[in-house]
Amino acid sequence: MTQDKDTELKAFFDQMKEKDQNLTIPEFPEAVKTRSINWWIPIGIAASLMLGFLLLPQEEMITEPPAEVIVITLQNDENKEQQILIEEKTYLETWESPTSSLLAEY
Amino acid sequence: MKRNQLETLLRQHHREAYLWARQCCGFDGEMAKDVVQVVFLKILEGKAKLNHDRNAKTWLFSIIRFTAIDELRKTGKWSSIENEPELVFEETESEETNYESLVKRLPKMQQEVLLMVFYHDMTLEQTAEVLQLHIGTVRTHYGRGKKRLKEWIEADRSFEVSKNLEGFKQSKK
Repeated sequence: MTQDKDTELKAFFDQMKEKDQNLTIPEFPEAVKTRSINWWIPIGIAASLMLGFLLLPQEEMITEPPAEVIVITLQNDENKEQQILIEEKTYLETWESPTSSLLAEY
Repeated sequence: MKRNQLETLLRQHHREAYLWARQCCGFDGEMAKDVVQVVFLKILEGKAKLNHDRNAKTWLFSIIRFTAIDELRKTGKWSSIENEPELVFEETESEETNYESLVKRLPKMQQEVLLMVFYHDMTLEQTAEVLQLHIGTVRTHYGRGKKRLKEWIEADRSFEVSKNLEGFKQSKK
């Protein structure tokens, strides 16, 4: 549509535009890069997990009992001479309950 | 439209966008800065989308206008602007024509229509699109605003002439 642009008003607004040339136009705002994922959340979770693992109380290593043991005993033979007797036994055969003494009958 | 295309478009219209934002904010430059920033983010974040059938400038002007209204409402300045009583011309002692104060005397709608048509070289149809008003309503605002502003410009001019004449007479004495 063509509107009758009144010359007087046109001149008024042209002068206004001219005066506005002195206005300081702010700089074009730089684009703020918006991330689709906020990476701080997964990073925080990973860091907490790592810290948790580091601070966990270390369990003492359970030493496995030896499968076989060598039992060395001194025994008197028929000549009343001491002899060294070396026997090879499994660990379970030599194991004694620490409370077995309580079962002793008096 | 892709992000970089939108950014180019905003760069092209940056100056005009700021000036329009300033006019929408009652010629408050600081508020206009904030409005432009908010509009920029709204567009880049996809909160405001440009339809293919819409003119980029009218679309941008429309977003600026509504964002400015929001900002004015937040600061409690909107009601004072909207409900401003129709002011009559008062002679001021300023040396030169104060364009902004003359425009500000007009009711808000008339201000916006005249600024879009005369200052930003938009058609009445585009103005109606920005204001989201019927073209007939825009024409009414346009006619009334033009009439009133012309009267004030005339009054301002005759006041200037009489002031100069007075000064000339005094210098002769």
